Amino acid sequence: MEVVAKAQYLTKRYHGVLAVDRIDLEVYRSEFFGLLGPNSAGKTTTIRMLTGQTKPTSGVAIVADYDIIHQPIKAKEHVGVVPEASNVYDEMSAWDNLIFAAELYGVPRKERNKRAKDLLERFGLYERRGDRVGNFSKGMKRRLTIAAALIHRPCIVFLDEPTTGLDVQSARIIRNLLKELNRSGVTIFLTTHYIEEADQLCQRIAIINQGRIVALDSPEKLKALVEERHVVEVSFSPAKDLDGQLKGLKHVSDVSWVGDRFRLYVEDASEVIPLLIDFGRENKLRIVSINTMKPSLEDAFVKITGLSPEVMATEKEHAKKGESLG
Amino acid sequence: MARIWLQSLIKAFYISKKDARVYYFKAPNFTYGFLMPVSLFIAFSIAGQINTSLIVSGLTSIVILFGTTSIEAVAVVLEKQTGTFERLLAAPVSFFTLLLGKALAGFFFGLVLAAVILAPLTVISGTVVANPVLVFIAIAFSSLTFSALGVLVSAYAKWTPEAQMLSNFLRFPMAFLSGTFLPLELMPSQLGVISRLLPLTYSVEALRISINDSAPTFTYLLDILVLALFSFILLVVAAKVLQRRLE
Ligand SMILES: Nc1ncnc2c1ncn2[C@@H]1O[C@H](COP(=O)(O)OP(=O)(O)O)[C@@H](O)[C@H]1O
Ligand SMILES: [Mg+2]
Repeated sequence: MEVVAKAQYLTKRYHGVLAVDRIDLEVYRSEFFGLLGPNSAGKTTTIRMLTGQTKPTSGVAIVADYDIIHQPIKAKEHVGVVPEASNVYDEMSAWDNLIFAAELYGVPRKERNKRAKDLLERFGLYERRGDRVGNFSKGMKRRLTIAAALIHRPCIVFLDEPTTGLDVQSARIIRNLLKELNRSGVTIFLTTHYIEEADQLCQRIAIINQGRIVALDSPEKLKALVEERHVVEVSFSPAKDLDGQLKGLKHVSDVSWVGDRFRLYVEDASEVIPLLIDFGRENKLRIVSINTMKPSLEDAFVKITGLSPEVMATEKEHAKKGESLG
Repeated sequence: MARIWLQSLIKAFYISKKDARVYYFKAPNFTYGFLMPVSLFIAFSIAGQINTSLIVSGLTSIVILFGTTSIEAVAVVLEKQTGTFERLLAAPVSFFTLLLGKALAGFFFGLVLAAVILAPLTVISGTVVANPVLVFIAIAFSSLTFSALGVLVSAYAKWTPEAQMLSNFLRFPMAFLSGTFLPLELMPSQLGVISRLLPLTYSVEALRISINDSAPTFTYLLDILVLALFSFILLVVAAKVLQRRLE
């Protein structure tokens, strides 16, 4: 498989803080690659090094066959970047923003208009092409930023948390756009702290925590790491704080709280379900629902990083309340 | 090689065009760039006894100085603050090209300002410009040099107030020490040495000569050369400073 981006021993230290610690990874052509990790894990720093916006303290970064440190301009010609915060010019129209991006990347004059029009149509912004970008919603700005990153037909696009801070609807639009882009052959490198988003979009995921890559594989293979654990979700009425009691049940190794349900990590679901029914009867609780589930990527993430599921849950709540994917 | 240079120059030009669109017509640029030096100059020239060609050349030079540094000192800082600078950093352009683009925006702004001040000034004072081409060349090189100075400030500063303070710190003393308000010959000799280190001195001198003489004198040519060197060195240093700042 052809490698379009590669990091070897890539490290960044800011005044004693190790932001990124000796990471190794390869991104293949036409792949949808995800870098998943909590806040401050080093995702942005990794992207900034791979795209030549900040110099690594040590290590090597190769993009599109060019060493980003020694041939930054050559490498950048083949790279699209969508940073965390939209970086389009508020004072200019959507159209002028795209043309400026085309000019910066040396897109031939006669190609510029055609490409700008195509992209604006594809991203649902053509009707608003003449409007000042300052009047755009966050979601529209994000779409325009992605369009601007594509105007020079890069061989890889880096997106730093492209759905963070967007409403549910806009986030869904962006995810669908990215899926479509990848289907059309564009290699994508995406960072996210949404576990479900990584699961849904990416073909391979690198999990990063405290600057280190702690796992790198396809979502299915990552989930297989926790296959031996079963998950049972149960909800009771009336709803009560039952963590401690449930944890005390036989065969239950861990309990977490997800929405209105308890998630029980068990060795064998068929042994635990009768116990739960007894538990409900003894405590005068009605069982509202009970499900057995395959392990999720979240379970794998929790096992790999050692972060508690509650930490990741609050992390998600923090960025966007109750976001559901679709 | 030549093609790469040309492509860089074209990209620098696109950056300047974008800057012109986004920043030129913001109100502070006009106040600091135009009204301030004019009023400052009027206040001082009334006090001092100076001749018309000195007034015309001095006033034009400091209008260019204040105007270009006003927009250039914040040209990089503002983009850092809004996040749009990331777009320029991710693009295939060198730091030098990027900053040259920024300086070109100031350069064109300076040309416009010079025309706006020079036209009425010559009419009012009844000055007959000896050689308009030489005047234009002097204005152009002055404008580029002062823009590059502003760019250097902007590459160094972390935020807008710092950039504005720094540029005032540079341009006010320069305005007093470069023969704008007071002819160099009347200055104490130590100050004269300092004045020779300041680009504004060469700008004023070149302009004064081109207003008076129809053919370029040796001093005029030297002034232009010095201004060109200043522009280049200031931009190279600015590129280095920016690189340092981003590490
Ligand atoms: N410019 C900087 N100066 C100092 N520390 C930084 C800088 N950028 C990032 N860091 C630190 O590096 C670590 C990783 O940050 P970042 O890459 O932004 O993480 P993420 O994008 O995963 O949230 C954090 O501890 C952060 O505070
Ligand atoms: Mg980040």
